[in-house]
Amino acid sequence: MTKETQGGIAVRQRRTGSTAKWVGVLLLAAMLVGAGCTPPGAKEAPQGQSGDTAKAKTIVVGLQAEPTALDPAQVSDYNSSRATMEMYDSLLRFKDGSTELEAGLAETYNISDDGLAYTLNLRKNVKFHDGTPFNADAVIFNIERQIDDKHPYHDTGTFGYAEFTFGKVAKVEKKDDYTVVLTLKEKYAPFLANLAMHAAAMVSPEAIKKYGKDIAKNPVGTGPFKFVSWNPGVEIVVEKNPDYWRGAPKVDRIVYRPVLEDQTRLTELEAGSLDFIVNIPPDEVGRLKQDQRFTVADQPGMHIWYLVMNTQKPPFNDVRVRQAANHAVNRKAIVDNILKGTGVLAENYIPPVLWSYDTSVKAYDYDPEKAKALLQQAGVKLPLKVDFWVPSSGSGMQQPTAMAAAIQADLQKVGIEANIQTFEWGTYLDKVFAKNPADVAPLHEMSWVGDNGDPDNFLYILNSGLQWPGNGFNEAFLKDDALDKILVEAQQSNDRAKRSQLYQQAQKMVMADAPWVPIDHETQIVAMNKKITGFVLHPTGVFRFDNVDVQP
Amino acid sequence: MLTYTLRRLLGLAAVLFGVSLAVFLIMHLRPGDPALIMLGPHATDESLARLRHEMGLDLPLYVQYGRWLGNLLQGDWGRSIQLKREILPLLLQRFQATAWLTLFGALLAVVLGVSAGVLSSTRQYSLLDRSSMVGMLVGFSIPVFWLGLLLQLLLGQRLGWLPISGMQSPGSASWGDFFLHAIMPAVAVASGPGAVIARMTRSSMLDVVRQDYIRTARAKGVMERWVIYKHALKNALIPVVTVIGLQVGYLLGGEMLVEMVFNWPGIGLLMVNGILAQDFPLVQGAILVVASSYALVNLTVDLLYAYLDPRIRYQ
Repeated sequence: MTKETQGGIAVRQRRTGSTAKWVGVLLLAAMLVGAGCTPPGAKEAPQGQSGDTAKAKTIVVGLQAEPTALDPAQVSDYNSSRATMEMYDSLLRFKDGSTELEAGLAETYNISDDGLAYTLNLRKNVKFHDGTPFNADAVIFNIERQIDDKHPYHDTGTFGYAEFTFGKVAKVEKKDDYTVVLTLKEKYAPFLANLAMHAAAMVSPEAIKKYGKDIAKNPVGTGPFKFVSWNPGVEIVVEKNPDYWRGAPKVDRIVYRPVLEDQTRLTELEAGSLDFIVNIPPDEVGRLKQDQRFTVADQPGMHIWYLVMNTQKPPFNDVRVRQAANHAVNRKAIVDNILKGTGVLAENYIPPVLWSYDTSVKAYDYDPEKAKALLQQAGVKLPLKVDFWVPSSGSGMQQPTAMAAAIQADLQKVGIEANIQTFEWGTYLDKVFAKNPADVAPLHEMSWVGDNGDPDNFLYILNSGLQWPGNGFNEAFLKDDALDKILVEAQQSNDRAKRSQLYQQAQKMVMADAPWVPIDHETQIVAMNKKITGFVLHPTGVFRFDNVDVQP
Repeated sequence: MLTYTLRRLLGLAAVLFGVSLAVFLIMHLRPGDPALIMLGPHATDESLARLRHEMGLDLPLYVQYGRWLGNLLQGDWGRSIQLKREILPLLLQRFQATAWLTLFGALLAVVLGVSAGVLSSTRQYSLLDRSSMVGMLVGFSIPVFWLGLLLQLLLGQRLGWLPISGMQSPGSASWGDFFLHAIMPAVAVASGPGAVIARMTRSSMLDVVRQDYIRTARAKGVMERWVIYKHALKNALIPVVTVIGLQVGYLLGGEMLVEMVFNWPGIGLLMVNGILAQDFPLVQGAILVVASSYALVNLTVDLLYAYLDPRIRYQ
């Protein structure tokens, strides 16, 4: 070490300081190296990977976020349902590409004349992935686990959809090994559709007994694919079930990878490291459709996005003011310019994919002059200042802030000054689900995605006076007794034709009541590598790969 | 030395306690209902109330804090609400990934930053100097996530040279594969700190090179390279090392964004997912791990400082 003559002592002091820092860094490095000689994450390579994976037909799916649970009774978001539902079957099944029902694990069913007893005849010779048989005991176990708090396995998870799916069930009984009778507390026609939902999927009771709370990480069902591994934050791997009762799938394995950033997901698709992606940035959809290497599939979803007006306090307690708002907003401009084809203009309070959709019902046309006239008629003092709550993001909310700005601008032109207040999604939900209408702002945004393909799922839950927040999701606090009567009647009849007629009436009535300004139905858009063939989108948002093939 | 060490350790404990309290309060006092997020809007009031009770959310805040802290000290960091698994093992596993990326990024920032700074200073006002000055400005100003996305598009998709995201290819356990995945995120994360280090090195070098003892060394006929690296750089690095320490802090901050863009399975991405899902036990645990590691590294360095130079002590 050469001796420095200039400022000698001070320099030597500080030099040891710099050495010390470097020693510190090296120590840290040594600790980390010592922690493992293999690169981090190396031991997380999925098990069950056979030698000839090169020949295995694999689809790598890019999800929007990490799934939270692989237990269908605990699924409450799209990412979880997409990663989970290929491993399970429900009692009834939605047909491919539609919300019509067909046989599932229940081959046939019978509804008693009083509409209360549902007899299900179960499919024979079906086994769970762990080899245990599917039978009446399994059905009873699965249902009671969710709704009976005295069930020994009730604490194996949180069942967000249990009340919705099985809330009306009074009791479940076994007739014989392959026959189950579900008795309802009251007539409830949508119950049949509930039997096709994810909470009505059958999990192996032996697996639940074995894994307890960890059943969410160790899924065992009867579905076309079975679980291989879950590396949290990295991937979920499933492989085909060769004994599947509907016939073995052609694809050998599916890998679900959560990729948070929309742009990253798209880049990966284009680079080939992902085969199938969701949530494409709207600006890129056009370009992808032109690209020969990819297939873009789209379908209007069971979804609706709407501006909610608080019908229980001024100014929107006057139907004329609500209708004025409907005439003031240029809905088509929002769909064309902001959503750019990721949504279809809404003309009704239910999406067109639902049965009973009345094509003669039309939304209010864009007519600012009419809006102003209605406001004048209602004797409203302009400018009308109202608070407008907006979420910064949220499941199904598409482009909440951009759409809010457009709505604000349109309302401004007729003299309604909307004061936008933005909240983070969790906070937002708390605020808009307040039970007292006095606590909720005059305007806010919301969207809704259907679960069971039944019009009751939209019209009753969102617009009935019996479904104000606390009981349902009628966030406009609409109370129209005539409408309620029709909705309840439709709910209790098991006659499809009669129900359809009643719902058509309901659609006309709610449009006249105008508690919302309906804007659009979000289009489900996915993009996939052309090597994937035979894929059809499903209105519930689940991705079905059992009939899909992969070209080499 | 012993009293100094003990005092610093006590200080560390106090810092960590403070961090745990701050983290707990932030996660619990913010508006929003974790039960609602978890069960989704279809959940009934009863199931929401039941979940809140299970999570202990209906207890007074200090009781919740006490329970959490008590469990923490016994090694039970709870279960992630969102991922339904034990938190501590999950954190430790994910932390490794972050630590490696941080190390790699820090190394890149230091090596490239110092080299750029030295080269610039020895050719002051030349084209190389001016362009690298602009480069430093850009590196400092560019948002980390934008740089990340740009690198992905260019090197990942257009040219296909590097894998776009993740930490390793499925089924691979090699270091080579790991490094290929780590290059882009490390460059993104190192851009800001690297630029600062480069500038600092450059100005420090320019300062030192004008000193008398350098002129003396040159007059004695010492080789120019020797002058620069052995005499000037060693002293020029002193203020730079201080800056490096600070920059590691910024690096950790940019790390979270880089993990999001590159889907790097580190603790930052875990935290982001946890925040979005209002998974407060997980977020609390994750913040605690990051804060603790940062405090520990600082403590280690300070202790070494004190060990090597008896004059540096607590007053």
